[in-house]
Amino acid sequence: MLKFVSRRLVQMVGLFFLFLTLVFFLLQAQPGDISNLFIDPNLPREVQEQLRERLGLDGSVWSQWATYLTNFVRGNLGVSFSQYPRPVLDIILEALPRTMFLFTLATLCSYIVGFSLGKHLAWRRGGFSEYSVTIGGVLLYTVFYPWFAVIVILTFGSRLGWFPINGFLTPEFWRNAPYSGNQVFTQMILSLFIAGAIAAFTAWWARRQKDRRRARLIRVTGYGASLGSIVVFWALRGDMRPYALDIAHHSVLPVMTLTLVAFAGVMLLTRGSMLETLREDYILTARAKGVPERVIRDRHAARNALLPVVTSFVLGLAFIIGGGVVTETVFSWPGMGLLLLGSTVIEDVPLATGALAFIGILALVAHLVVDILYAVLDPRIRIAGGR
Amino acid sequence: MVTQDHQMVELEEGLVLEEGKLPKSLWRVRLTLARKVLRKNWRLFSENKIGLFGLGVILLFALIALSYPLMRSIGPWQNDTVYDPITGYEAVLEDFEIVLTEADVVDPTTQMDANTAQLFCFGVAAGDICTVPRQPARPGPDHWLGTDPLGRDIASQLAYSTRAAFLLGLIAALVTVIVATIIGSVAAFYGGWIDNVLMRLADLVLLLPLIPVLIVMSGLLTITLPLLGVLIGILSGFGGTAIVLKSQALSIKVKPFIDAARVAGGSNRHVIFAHIIPNVLPLSFLFMVFTVTEAITLEATLSFFGLLNVPMSWGIMLNIAQTEGYLRFGLEYWWLLVPSGLAVTLLAAGFFFVGRAMDEVVNPRLRAR
Amino acid sequence: MTARTVLEVKNLVMNYEIKAGMVSAVENVSFSLPQGKSLGLVGESGCGKTSVALTLLRLQAPNARILGGEVLLDGENLLDLSSEEMRKRRWSGISMVFQGAMNSWNPVYTVGDQILEAIDLHWDPKPTAAKARAKIVELFGLVGLNPDMIDRYPHEYSGGMKQRAVIAMALSCDPRLIIADEPTTALDVIVQEQILAELKKIQEQMGMSIIYISHDIAVIAEITDLLGVMYAGKLVEVGPTVEVFARPRHPYTWLILSSTPSITGERRQLAPLEGEPPNLLDPPTGCRFHPRCPFATELCVTEEPPLAVIDDGHSVACWHHEKVPVGVRSGR
Repeated sequence: MLKFVSRRLVQMVGLFFLFLTLVFFLLQAQPGDISNLFIDPNLPREVQEQLRERLGLDGSVWSQWATYLTNFVRGNLGVSFSQYPRPVLDIILEALPRTMFLFTLATLCSYIVGFSLGKHLAWRRGGFSEYSVTIGGVLLYTVFYPWFAVIVILTFGSRLGWFPINGFLTPEFWRNAPYSGNQVFTQMILSLFIAGAIAAFTAWWARRQKDRRRARLIRVTGYGASLGSIVVFWALRGDMRPYALDIAHHSVLPVMTLTLVAFAGVMLLTRGSMLETLREDYILTARAKGVPERVIRDRHAARNALLPVVTSFVLGLAFIIGGGVVTETVFSWPGMGLLLLGSTVIEDVPLATGALAFIGILALVAHLVVDILYAVLDPRIRIAGGR
Repeated sequence: MVTQDHQMVELEEGLVLEEGKLPKSLWRVRLTLARKVLRKNWRLFSENKIGLFGLGVILLFALIALSYPLMRSIGPWQNDTVYDPITGYEAVLEDFEIVLTEADVVDPTTQMDANTAQLFCFGVAAGDICTVPRQPARPGPDHWLGTDPLGRDIASQLAYSTRAAFLLGLIAALVTVIVATIIGSVAAFYGGWIDNVLMRLADLVLLLPLIPVLIVMSGLLTITLPLLGVLIGILSGFGGTAIVLKSQALSIKVKPFIDAARVAGGSNRHVIFAHIIPNVLPLSFLFMVFTVTEAITLEATLSFFGLLNVPMSWGIMLNIAQTEGYLRFGLEYWWLLVPSGLAVTLLAAGFFFVGRAMDEVVNPRLRAR
Repeated sequence: MTARTVLEVKNLVMNYEIKAGMVSAVENVSFSLPQGKSLGLVGESGCGKTSVALTLLRLQAPNARILGGEVLLDGENLLDLSSEEMRKRRWSGISMVFQGAMNSWNPVYTVGDQILEAIDLHWDPKPTAAKARAKIVELFGLVGLNPDMIDRYPHEYSGGMKQRAVIAMALSCDPRLIIADEPTTALDVIVQEQILAELKKIQEQMGMSIIYISHDIAVIAEITDLLGVMYAGKLVEVGPTVEVFARPRHPYTWLILSSTPSITGERRQLAPLEGEPPNLLDPPTGCRFHPRCPFATELCVTEEPPLAVIDDGHSVACWHHEKVPVGVRSGR
């Protein structure tokens, strides 16, 4: 498994440099010279040349490309035009956790909802429920997304008033807050991370048990502890809690909207994969063994149907990242997507391309995580080390 | 892919048989055979109710698209610049009853408080009627779906944009198929480092989230509708589609008729263009359909953010409603919100349903027992 | 002394409902199997032998319709049970070794876990982990597998090992009856022989009954006590294996024996069986074999022959069984 993961890691790094190259040439491809953005053409020619040299824009395209890559690796992404003189990296690192929070939660939710619905659709083929869920799901999948987001806001934000209309926090409420939004948000992520780590460790440990009863005991206590850790964590930070709740309250609508548009893809994939799995001989074997139908569905069929669904995550990744960008924009969620659109509109080129590069990194890292997950799920790869 | 393979063999075997009898041109024989296959596949397709529903939706929108030039040339919108979707203007006059103060305004669509009324009808008092030009105007006999905040006819915009959506979808789909088929075939045929480089690039493009890339691109270049079609076509054709078509091409590459063509002295180019590509094409039509879905939603989203240089489209319609501040009123101005949003959703879903049904025809494992 | 009857199938009728109509897959099949004996069911593919086997476990396809008959396991009619009761009888009453052992294993669980699943479901009371483990080790020994393999995944097994493990799993709940559906078809000949010999040995040791299903009459003949021959959904001949081999009374049995080479017997030309199996959407009237039968008369076209006892334990469904010659037919 280590071999498999390390090989994927090397591939990812290669892909990332290819991606950076692409971003670089995207910059080069724009009409005119990039230096026009920086250098006033009314300056005397010598001054222009000097400036060009100082900015590293005098060499050949290839030397500029090499400089771009080395700078990127060193963490030097240039300086933002619009928030001058803040470094681009600084701005991005502030926005990144917010995007990862939204992205991770929405991905998890859409996979859980999509997978369990797809599973049921394949199990009970035909009939009204299949048609209505399929049509409803596809309509959500192909919906004009910003429009849908507006409708969600109008319904749950304006009309029902259950959730804030947009933003990351309520400014009036935070006016005299002893913490900054980022401080609280960091703690929220830390709390989720601890809970996730406990849950992951539980799953790993329970798997290693020979005795089923013991494994179940470990699972029950482990997942309980995972939830408990969140309770304890916030019990210890009583004065920060209302502020954390405010941010959480703001995150409900964006996560929900993104989940609603993204789950149908997972659902349809699961259905197809499950239909194929149900034809396998081992399903018949399980039936002959007298395994109850519900267990056949969940333990035998769905567990195997999950594998292709996880592999095809790569296909859905671009969709959900694109959806995330739109979500952030419509809900004014100050993450990478909002940054990307905002900087594009005001022609802050270093910030826009920096954000794009980091969205690429996000995609690659997610891809890698899923590869590892796949190896964990499929013993044929976990043991043989992949093909 | 089983039937697909099978049909291919048939296609080529039929070719050999026919050629034995009377020499016909390669493409004419193929066309005859394709017609047969098409008829069989149509039967399979027509069993899929959801697919038929999708086809129905597409046909409906095709009619709407077709109605635009008809309405403008011989229909009720004839020779009337009012109905131009981009430059037309009409402010519909509406009567308002004047009430005393703001608090007395019960229904803002028929009543107006006296203070505001002074701006339009000087010297009126409570109880009088003030006639005010209204934009956006609500739907009426002249403007079936009302007018937008700039006083332009929504129905005309909708029909005009439908045509643009089809055009965009067509361009994107064609470019996808051309790019994906050529890349897939070339990678499969040559193998080796060419294959390697092309497939690594395809991996990368597959991972690229289209929306952020296109957003950044829109900051660097002026993107028009045809250019957007080409960009979407290239990006979606070079990614997953190329990878799938490559594996299809690989399975064709090992078929005996390729060897036969080689033995007969066919050049690489001849083998790729005369034998591999025609046999990969049927599968690529499937991806064309999905590309149309993608193109329509992408265009709408980018237009909504005002990033494209497009005169009028469904996305622009919503963009205008938003920038003019009418979205926060919700359904009160439903004619600004509903037609364009529903059109994008329905047409994109229609193509998606058709694509799914086609997938079941091509991919028998997904079918019912 | 006659042994107790474990399984009795009476007049079983099963059809498949497809778009084009009803396919008569199993038509009026009856047989019984005494404790500790083995029965072979042979016939061409599509003759209904697997359908019979699946129906015994009530695992028939969703479009199958059982139109009549009884399946008595120790006197209890399985067709009358609720699906929950039937689920409990599976594996503990009747277990099955499936056609493709390669794919009988769920790839994501270890073989040991999959056997344990069956044990946990059917043993009463539920065994402790150590006891269940000991049973699996014992079963692995019985089928000639190294107990180290218990915690391995199916993809780490070879084809023969998978088949042995499938047999181990079939034995895990001490069933009264095992159905082996083409248990060795996918394996190479040497492994095939070994596994069949081991199955036979285990069966004798544990005193259980087995139904073997195969298209290959030669393979089955070596290991079964009784032999049933199916044609087009009907059981046309059933009797002691030795008896059926020595004196086949149904023309179909006679013809397939004539088309099978014999290693020990004399050298002869093989006589291939001519014609096609009938279309079961619209089966032939009267005797379903009459279109291909060399002895067919007017009677065979109009009247259906009943399965009649002609000898001790040897029954045949043919109007003209006395016309069938003794010994095999030689080809031209």
